[in-house]
Amino acid sequence: MRLTVDGREVEVEPGSTVLEAVRRAGSAVPTLCYDPRQAPFGACRVCLVGLAGAPAPIAACTTPCREGMSIDTRDPAARRVAATVVELVLSELPQAPAPHTELAEVARSLGVCGTRFAGATHEVEHDERHPYLVLRHELCISCGRCVRACDELQGAFALTATGRGFEANIAAGLGGGFRESTCVSCGACADTCPTGAITEHTLLTLEQEEHP
Amino acid sequence: MSDNLVELIRRHHGETAPTALEVLKEAIESRGAVTDDDRRRAAEVSGLPEAAVHGVSTFYDDLLQPRGRRHLRICTGTACFAATGGSQVAELSDALGLDLGERSADGSISLAETVCLGLCHSSPALRDGDLVDAGGDVVSRALVGQLRDAAEPAWRSVFEEPVLTRPGDWSGLERALRRLTPEDLLEEVTASEVRGRGGAGFPAGRKWQFARAAPGEQKFIVANGDEGDPGSYIDKQLMEVNPALVLEGMALAGYAVGASHGFVLTRSEYPRSKPALEAAVSAARAQGWLGADILGSGHSFDVTVLEGAGSYVVGEETALLACLEGLRGVVSARPPFPAERGLYGRPTVVNNIETLANIPFIARRGAAAYAALSPGASNGSKLVCFNERFARPGVWEVRFGTSMRELCEDLAGGVRAGLKALQIGGPLGGILPAHRLDTAFDFDALAAEGCMLGHGSIVAFDDQTDMRSLARHLLRFGAHESCGKCFPCRVGLRRAHEMFAAEAPVSRERLESLLEALELGSLCAHGGGMPAPIRSLLRHFPDELGLG
Amino acid sequence: MSDRFESTVTTTCGYCGVGCRLEAHVTGGQVASITPASDGPANHGHTCLKGRFAHRFARARDRLTEPLVREGGRLRAVSWERALETISTRLGEIRAEHGPNAIAGLASSRATNEDCYVMARLMRAAIGTNNIDNCSRVCHSPTSFALRKSLGLSGATGCFDDIDHAEVAIIIGANPTQGHPVVGARMKQAALRGLKLITIDPRRIELADYGELHLAPRAGTNAAVVLGMAHVLERDGLTDPTFIAERTEGYDTLGELLEHYPPATVHEISGIPATDIEAAAHLYGEARRASIAWGLGVTEHKYGSEVVRLICNVALMTGKVGQAGSALLPLRGQNNVQGSSDMGALPDTYTAYRSVADERVAGAFEAAWGVPLSREPGYKVPEMLDAAVAGELKAMYIFGEDIAQTDPNSAHVVKALESLQFVVCQDIFENETTRYADVVLPASAFLEKQGTFTNAERRIQLVEPAIPPPGQARTDLEIIAAVSRALGHEMGYAGPSEVMDEIAALTPDFAGVSYERLGRRGLQWPVAPDGSDAPILYEERFSLPGGRARFAALPYKEPGDAVDEGFPLILVTGRVLEHYNAGTMTRRTGNLELVDRDWLEIHPDDAGRLWISDGERVSVRSRVGRVELCARVTERIEPGHVFTSFHFPEARTNLLVGSSADVNTSCPEYKVVAVDVRPMSERASTRPALASA
Repeated sequence: MRLTVDGREVEVEPGSTVLEAVRRAGSAVPTLCYDPRQAPFGACRVCLVGLAGAPAPIAACTTPCREGMSIDTRDPAARRVAATVVELVLSELPQAPAPHTELAEVARSLGVCGTRFAGATHEVEHDERHPYLVLRHELCISCGRCVRACDELQGAFALTATGRGFEANIAAGLGGGFRESTCVSCGACADTCPTGAITEHTLLTLEQEEHP
Repeated sequence: MSDNLVELIRRHHGETAPTALEVLKEAIESRGAVTDDDRRRAAEVSGLPEAAVHGVSTFYDDLLQPRGRRHLRICTGTACFAATGGSQVAELSDALGLDLGERSADGSISLAETVCLGLCHSSPALRDGDLVDAGGDVVSRALVGQLRDAAEPAWRSVFEEPVLTRPGDWSGLERALRRLTPEDLLEEVTASEVRGRGGAGFPAGRKWQFARAAPGEQKFIVANGDEGDPGSYIDKQLMEVNPALVLEGMALAGYAVGASHGFVLTRSEYPRSKPALEAAVSAARAQGWLGADILGSGHSFDVTVLEGAGSYVVGEETALLACLEGLRGVVSARPPFPAERGLYGRPTVVNNIETLANIPFIARRGAAAYAALSPGASNGSKLVCFNERFARPGVWEVRFGTSMRELCEDLAGGVRAGLKALQIGGPLGGILPAHRLDTAFDFDALAAEGCMLGHGSIVAFDDQTDMRSLARHLLRFGAHESCGKCFPCRVGLRRAHEMFAAEAPVSRERLESLLEALELGSLCAHGGGMPAPIRSLLRHFPDELGLG
Repeated sequence: MSDRFESTVTTTCGYCGVGCRLEAHVTGGQVASITPASDGPANHGHTCLKGRFAHRFARARDRLTEPLVREGGRLRAVSWERALETISTRLGEIRAEHGPNAIAGLASSRATNEDCYVMARLMRAAIGTNNIDNCSRVCHSPTSFALRKSLGLSGATGCFDDIDHAEVAIIIGANPTQGHPVVGARMKQAALRGLKLITIDPRRIELADYGELHLAPRAGTNAAVVLGMAHVLERDGLTDPTFIAERTEGYDTLGELLEHYPPATVHEISGIPATDIEAAAHLYGEARRASIAWGLGVTEHKYGSEVVRLICNVALMTGKVGQAGSALLPLRGQNNVQGSSDMGALPDTYTAYRSVADERVAGAFEAAWGVPLSREPGYKVPEMLDAAVAGELKAMYIFGEDIAQTDPNSAHVVKALESLQFVVCQDIFENETTRYADVVLPASAFLEKQGTFTNAERRIQLVEPAIPPPGQARTDLEIIAAVSRALGHEMGYAGPSEVMDEIAALTPDFAGVSYERLGRRGLQWPVAPDGSDAPILYEERFSLPGGRARFAALPYKEPGDAVDEGFPLILVTGRVLEHYNAGTMTRRTGNLELVDRDWLEIHPDDAGRLWISDGERVSVRSRVGRVELCARVTERIEPGHVFTSFHFPEARTNLLVGSSADVNTSCPEYKVVAVDVRPMSERASTRPALASA
């Protein structure tokens, strides 16, 4: 089927999402909770784009394409909300995300340098019990990618979201860490984490060397 | 929600064995706490992986509050707030020497908050075990052990022949099974234009059509009894006083859609709802209205009743299905819609309790009679409920199109201390100031005022309520109930609450950005709807909000 | 990610036969991190803890960095010249006195195709013998033999992607979530999406929990199970007569044999209920697309090669081969066990399994290498060991294999090594085998060399170095070429890609292979001269004379070992997720923290009877040896069976395994060892002992 993205026509297979169409058209839309190996989740709302005829911006990752849609990735309301969302996410972290992380990149691409929304931040809690994986709970933005990687890619089901609302975070097993869970140490969670909340010891050391 | 987790549960037991949530609820109800052994057992019984069970056990309020031998739950809903400004909470907490969510060192007593007990007609309300009492002196009576079950609210109708307050008698189902094909019934319901009563107002007939057309042998009807709106006790009354009418509606939905099983999700805050529905199910089975091959029609239908565990968001249909499956009550992106892929991945119709209660009339009398109930306005009739501030609180069945003034003054006797404003339809409803009382009670008319019909609750505030406190109260509720999935709601509601809870003036510019992000960016109507009352307050009571 | 690092190199994992493509991120001369390549054709952006994390072994403190020569009973560091001189002198002497066939070589199935090819050339051209083998001998040699006999080519008939296109899959004698984790994960996801799995194993493997049907046969009865399924397929009209008529030979003889294997008979032999045999056959037979995957639980048996032929029978009689979704997938264990055999590091074949006796082929190699070559097949590994003990074999050159730990009947292996006059080991660490070496050459790990590996899908993939070999260690290609040069045979390759060019020039099945063409996605052989490769084999014809596949009418025969009063339990050996084979690499990484020993799995019924509790140390005795292990009581193993892995030299599991081996290929029967298990009643001894002691 055919649709238009930022004035350019693009052809996609039935069943494609607007995000896939946008990328095929060569436009860029930032995402935080999206991983191409996982089913779309729709949590971050950073991929909002304008859809002609719709009353409000739509989330590109979870909206199926329909013939003749006209998408505007520069829709002002969509961009404003995406930027506000990133400001909010930055505000919940006790420290700025490391520059190499996806979150930092997304912030840069949206022109977000800081946040207007100072308030409570996550409690600092590090789990370094595993020989390779490190979990820094305070950097978790509950994007769900690690939980879904463990579910949809590896199938170990070792991770879960915990809590509710602002207290939401993630945990392995019954909260006893990776080694006490069904984790098989494949590292898919670390691969997909956009903030470095889950990373490996060697990269943590590197991060600390890069930014003492 | 995770296809794999749902598949694991479905394979393990389908819809017959206890869910992980049920096992965890049993643990806290019988032993006062949830342990890792309970979680492991829940995993084994349900087929859900242990980590996922851990996630469930940290999501629902009921599972998180430790229980002493005596467990007191004080309601902090909007009607109770309107009655006292929230003073009863501090009063009880101070008297017991316990914070909310705390258990005494010796385990004898614990205090928790709960929203909402559905006794809004006689706020403030308090629950001791399963005894639910209400009234201005409820705290002092609790302290001397003199609580009793509160009196039921009035249950009235403006119609000579009530539709919704009339006890269900299964005559609608009888007529449908004997005289109508499923397609006929579906056509009738579609023609009646009955709109969802839970707040979204989506035409039920259209939803049923999608489900009927969806491929698959196994389909489900789910009755949404998660009436979490503080100030609303309409569904509570239907479930507890008129459960047969609701069940009849479900059986009719099953007939039209091709489903042979239904589920009702009730609230744990309404301890009587599940027993009342289960008694009605037993009676219906005994009389042959539920079960296999009803009236020899070939249509079978049966109902399972499940209870929630303390989460407002499970009133949203995808979160509700997750709760029924025993998972975290988190919202899922749509599409796919439940009508296509719902409970255990099967096509599912999710309808509000009151919506289903409308169906027997339509089956018995037809779409035209249904439209005639409220001439010149939306079809059918509507239950509304009034809070304690009114002279004559209770539930009324009314016509669409009636003016708010007529509802508030003629039916409910007006507000004793003088009306300041109304919140209609729930905590996500706009605020209607007293001088706009001539607005008609109908979907579009209320929307034009920045309000919503919602579920039909009408909560009055008098002069003792200052609007900044109200904003703070609503945002605290909103932030606490956020499922935590989408970013605007998860962080934004927290920030909005912080802004109104702080001493400092609220930055108008920052508030505007937040409200826009919530309205346009939220995944569901919880975050999306929270700005509405705030915008009403900004429009009608800006001076009380402490803006800077 | 890549901006943070000095360099990022895309390479192929050196652990298992899945062949994950990995990105190695290097900073400060070290591999800081390895992540999966999102475009990896086998792994699709995923990998397991070994490829992902277990790479620090490459710089472990005890890494070999200098050549060693044994003097006065101890290994001492020497220069490369000295080491090479020692080798050429001693081997030269032995050859002069006893002939070239008194020397044998073992190629490493962990090393690259190029390394294995030049190792074979070393033995054939520089020394003059066909005594060259590789460790596929002890794992999938039965597969190779059987597939060549039944279908023609020694490799999987399809790809891992076929799992996503199949309706039904049988997994027999394999535990993919442990041994081939990425493939195991794909199977699990497919099963959750609706793929119906039939698992056949004396252990209830993890995938059985996601499968439709689990069959737990008595160890050693696989043939009966497969024959039983074939019987039902024939009896109930689930065969594809057109396919049989047009594309196969020998069905009638098979048909006669199948009459003897009704489900009731199979039940008596294997213990599997007759209804389960019927159900399995129907599930497989009624599917439009169904695949079969198998592992060492099929091959490492006395009649392993026959069982593989019987598996081929089942696919052939139903026409489920040669199309997407219907694949036969032998799960090759090591990262390059497929390739090492493809490259001719075998006593009886050159590249692509062409016989050393074939004049045309031998002649081509003689022309390429410039020396005459023997037409006589050489020793397989077990024959090398027997010949060493008998005094006929005098020297061995062991490249990248720890036979004293991983080969069966460790006592016999040790005796063989002790009997040899001269042993060269080329490896990255000292190990159980280097104890007997006269010269030890420090070799390179997979992160330190260029070359190619061939995975279980026949996919040749590039390997690129991320870091150099440490100290004075060299790449294996350089070492072998240097040894060859010292022996007087100059190989003259400028680098690994020229080795592959020669292989392509001399091997029609690899004709179109070049490093440029391999790129990021590799190529599945056969590769035509124009570079087009072969994801699915046998779409039109089988690679046998006449183009027809061959049925095999092979009856069930009992395994080489059996329980009796003295040895009442059957031991099955295998792998676990966290370690790889001898554990040489993984025991030197954080994986050791996760799993620090080999465990003996025992069923609660057996444990109860023997007064064994979970975690208790037990003694395990077979007819040839005795070891001590910690017990893990679990219901995943069938009663009457026990399971352990072989990753830890302290456990020396293979002391228990006797000399029973596959009748056609000499692959050891690791999977059926009668043992006696009992709790340690006296103070534990620390050295494993021979049975007779």
